[in-house]
Amino acid sequence: MQYLNELKEKIKENLPELDMVVGWEQGFDSLRASPLFMRTEDDVDKMIWGPLCVHNLATYLPSLKGKKVGVVVKGCDSRSVIQLLQEKLIKRDDIMVFGLPCTGVVSLRKIQDNLGSLDYIESTEVDGDSLNITVDGTNHAFKLEDVAANKCSRCQYHNALLSDVFIGDPITEEAEDEYTDVDEFEDMSLEDRMAFWVSNMSRCVSCYACRNACPMCVCRDHCVAQSRDPHWITQEDTVQNKWFFQMIHSMHLAGRCTECGECERACPVGLPLLLLKRKMNKEIKELFAYKAGTLIDAKTPLLSFKVEEDNINERGW
Amino acid sequence: MSADSGKELRIVGFLCNWCSYGGADTAGVGRFQQPTDLRIIRVPCSGRVDPLFVLKSLVNGADGVLVSGCHPRDCHYSEGNYYARRRLEVLKRFLPVLGIDTRRFEYTWVSASEGQKWKTVVEKFTEGIHELGPAPVIDATMIAKAQILAATAL
Amino acid sequence: MKIGVFVCHCGSNIAGTVDVVKVAEEARKLPDVAFASDTMYACSEPGQDGIINAIKDLDLDGVVVASCTPRMHEPTFRKTLERAGLNRYMFEMANIREHVSWVGKDKEANTKKALDLVAMAVAKLTQGKALISKKFDINKRVLVIGGGVAGIQAALDCADGGLDVILVEKTTSIGGKMSKLDKTFPTVDCSSCILGPKMVDVAQHPNITLYAASEVEKIDGYVGNYQVAITKKATYVDWDACTGCGLCMEKCPSKKSTDYFNEEVGTTTAINILFPQAIPKKASIDADFCIKLIKDKCGICAKVCPTNAIQYDQQDEIVTEPVGAIIVATGYDLFDYTKYGEYGGGRYPDVITSMQYERLLSASGPTGGHVKRPSDGKEPKTIVFIQCVGSRDKSIGRPYCSGFCCMYTAKQAILTKDHMPDSQSYVFYMDIRAPGKLYDEFIRRAMEEYGTQYVRGRVSMLYPKNGSLVVRGADTLLGKQVEIEADLVVLAVGAESAVGASKLAEKLRISYDNYGFYMESHPKLRPVETNTAGVFLAGSCQGPKDIPQSVGQGSAAAAKVLVLFSKDQLESDPQVSVVDIKRCVGCGKCIETCPFGAIEEIDFRGMTKSNVIETICQGCGICTSTCPQGAIQLQNFTDNQILAEVNVLCQQTLEKSFE
Repeated sequence: MQYLNELKEKIKENLPELDMVVGWEQGFDSLRASPLFMRTEDDVDKMIWGPLCVHNLATYLPSLKGKKVGVVVKGCDSRSVIQLLQEKLIKRDDIMVFGLPCTGVVSLRKIQDNLGSLDYIESTEVDGDSLNITVDGTNHAFKLEDVAANKCSRCQYHNALLSDVFIGDPITEEAEDEYTDVDEFEDMSLEDRMAFWVSNMSRCVSCYACRNACPMCVCRDHCVAQSRDPHWITQEDTVQNKWFFQMIHSMHLAGRCTECGECERACPVGLPLLLLKRKMNKEIKELFAYKAGTLIDAKTPLLSFKVEEDNINERGW
Repeated sequence: MSADSGKELRIVGFLCNWCSYGGADTAGVGRFQQPTDLRIIRVPCSGRVDPLFVLKSLVNGADGVLVSGCHPRDCHYSEGNYYARRRLEVLKRFLPVLGIDTRRFEYTWVSASEGQKWKTVVEKFTEGIHELGPAPVIDATMIAKAQILAATAL
Repeated sequence: MKIGVFVCHCGSNIAGTVDVVKVAEEARKLPDVAFASDTMYACSEPGQDGIINAIKDLDLDGVVVASCTPRMHEPTFRKTLERAGLNRYMFEMANIREHVSWVGKDKEANTKKALDLVAMAVAKLTQGKALISKKFDINKRVLVIGGGVAGIQAALDCADGGLDVILVEKTTSIGGKMSKLDKTFPTVDCSSCILGPKMVDVAQHPNITLYAASEVEKIDGYVGNYQVAITKKATYVDWDACTGCGLCMEKCPSKKSTDYFNEEVGTTTAINILFPQAIPKKASIDADFCIKLIKDKCGICAKVCPTNAIQYDQQDEIVTEPVGAIIVATGYDLFDYTKYGEYGGGRYPDVITSMQYERLLSASGPTGGHVKRPSDGKEPKTIVFIQCVGSRDKSIGRPYCSGFCCMYTAKQAILTKDHMPDSQSYVFYMDIRAPGKLYDEFIRRAMEEYGTQYVRGRVSMLYPKNGSLVVRGADTLLGKQVEIEADLVVLAVGAESAVGASKLAEKLRISYDNYGFYMESHPKLRPVETNTAGVFLAGSCQGPKDIPQSVGQGSAAAAKVLVLFSKDQLESDPQVSVVDIKRCVGCGKCIETCPFGAIEEIDFRGMTKSNVIETICQGCGICTSTCPQGAIQLQNFTDNQILAEVNVLCQQTLEKSFE
């Protein structure tokens, strides 16, 4: 809960000029955080900060367009804010970014895998780099590192890349992300890879939580997944349709995905959805030396071109 | 194996109206014999080809997909094929993670005058697809198999 | 939907390798198909009547014709539909000739393929809808950019045709490259004697507004309704007051100003009139050399000017002109020969360009028509002409032939002999290109009557020796090296695209080739049109051209404008993108990728939305594949229409299991 008091103070200081500030509060139990929309000083007092603050709050910004909104961001969340700004989906003057250095957030799925169930959480304490959870009278201690989200272990943006107010001491950034997970996956045979997706997608319940949690999915009610015109996805309940929706999501995020992992986090059946987007990002990086959500003034690679491309060979026959 | 003999495979082509569709016409006028597998969908510009059309085809049973547009710098709409080039290259590189053989998708540039080149493209691509054979079919059997495979792998 | 399918035999062209009767039979079974038959020649009069009768008898909603390429007969059949009272866009073609019968011999495979194509066309048509063209008013004024001979001709023809013409010229006088020439081939008539009257016509024509010393700043709008912002550059002289008397030029003390008109052969005064026949004949000040403008001293011209026209504080001014069409006639520029080390790279004063030589030959040039070489003013006796300097040379990125250099070199050799009967000219050439009326005869005259020595070969080097230049080259016909001691070397520099051509192209939204020359719409059949409606090309901006070709194109472009303006309203092609305003989230990605600037941001009940300006949209569909939620759809190539085709070919297997 480092920096929390300072953060609250800064928010209170700026609250009069803002319609609201989005942060986190404790949810229905001590393990679950929940987004908090602060309008009064009393609201601010409810705020929490730490490894349980898993949500990327940038997701709310496009729908709050037109209001003066403050948003609390971790390093990874700040990239979404930058990408939204770059695409002019939100206005710089309308938002105030409270940036923090983040050492990683938990993966509830990993904790659940350990505990079997997350239904009766009695208390949760974060103490340095350990996490103590009491369930049904029994205390379970975890090293944060062991239950951190996958994205945190390869994090290169611990500190908010963009902030109007930065609270805390910046963390030194580590080495480049080499996308080893993607390479490892692709070491499998083509057949196994397809089987992996087909079996996974057969579990998909088409709830579109992945899309709703995605900060870059700004189409919302107008998503092509549910429209008749255009009618990309038929009404049939097929693996092809579900898988194809993930392809749509990946293509629509090409050069835009900031790898916050909200799609995967939000998925109720635990589909490994970030892998597809990471593959896309890996190729975008190799082709265009581009990473989404790092520069406001950059141009999304698929919305631009070079007459002579650096890394695309002309296709001769 | 020559693509002419044996069973036909399902190959979908997306051709821009101004160059490649014209090139295919030129090949026809020149009576350049080609394998018969390809079915051509006419679009105004390669820039109109949403990569999702290609993915949609591949997921739903196409054995191969070919996109062809005007040569870079010659786009009728001046910039369409530049956008297409980026999008289609990204698409091609994306396929492996899905477990789809990249050779099942190709894009190229053929002008309206290049009838002979079009024949070569169709021959080579069709031959390549026949070498790969039919694409895996996603049906009840495959899903069941995949689920067993996934269960044992974990 | 009730669709009629007509499968064409095309004699034996299709029926020879496709079982057309079977295709029609199978097509009858497709969903939405109400009628299907085979027909001998669908495009013939009985064929078309058959279609019309079927539409009327069966009350069809749409028609599919399976025959040749839509690039051939789509317009024909669309008209057929209209005659039967159907919307012309309720029509699809299945190309079973070029793409089926002509490229495969296996009748069974062809028949299957033809049926697939018919099924795709039917499926696409079921997703189609009637499209209606909109009519809009046009502004019957034309902008001509460039006052060279092509632009002059275009402007005069348009003006004589009754149109208001805005002629914009970058320099202070119209006339272009032609006004600098002494004589023209192959008639050897005086260039200014034939151009001069045309220039005067421009000045006096009541329909022509001339903006000299002006450039196009910005172009907005679309065919029929362009808004052109023109920058009138400061000339520091009130042209309404200036009478062109030239007194200021006589008195100006800054006499070392760059003489652009004379190709820097000699100098001129800081205040000058470009050349004696200039139109408009007005003085302007070169700010780089004017003592008053640089040091705030002098001011003599203001004192001597009898009409008080001098305005040292004049500023650039922007004027906006509404026009309906644009003719681009921006011409060419000359290759910079200093890129070639073998010709001295600009170090030798007696190595000059063909255009400089033209000025030396001209009676109104800096030497009064007496050929005096730059180094010592002596009359040269031996003159060497080197051709293809900056033409047909891949190594310097100029692989194309400039077209007119062979001819003007011959002309200059003839004029040299006329000026100095005791002189001897040599021409180093690669090939002689003289395909024009009386052109080859002209070259022969230079050789035979005027004794010009033609040496087929390239020059490998030049070096100075005893006040002259030794030209060393190969004579490939004799197979030996030749050395000529020349008093003057004239380089036949090639043409390249005009400086700033690409920038202007972007303002006009027209395309240009690798060398900066503007692209015509079709190299054979639409040589003066561009792919941007309402923008036409004339002269060398499209590629090197000689005077008659440029004049011809000027007239052609003018004719195209007159055709365009022969109607009071234009009809827009309805195959444009349309925004579904409910679905648009206003992200602006379509605006970013549109190559034509055809999409604008609008405010719709307080929300940002995209809007397609129908008249600018060219129908490429880049926006449709850009928009993530598919809110902008290119009509007649909508996502649903293409998906319908895909779905015919690629069906989900689970669906099949229900069959």
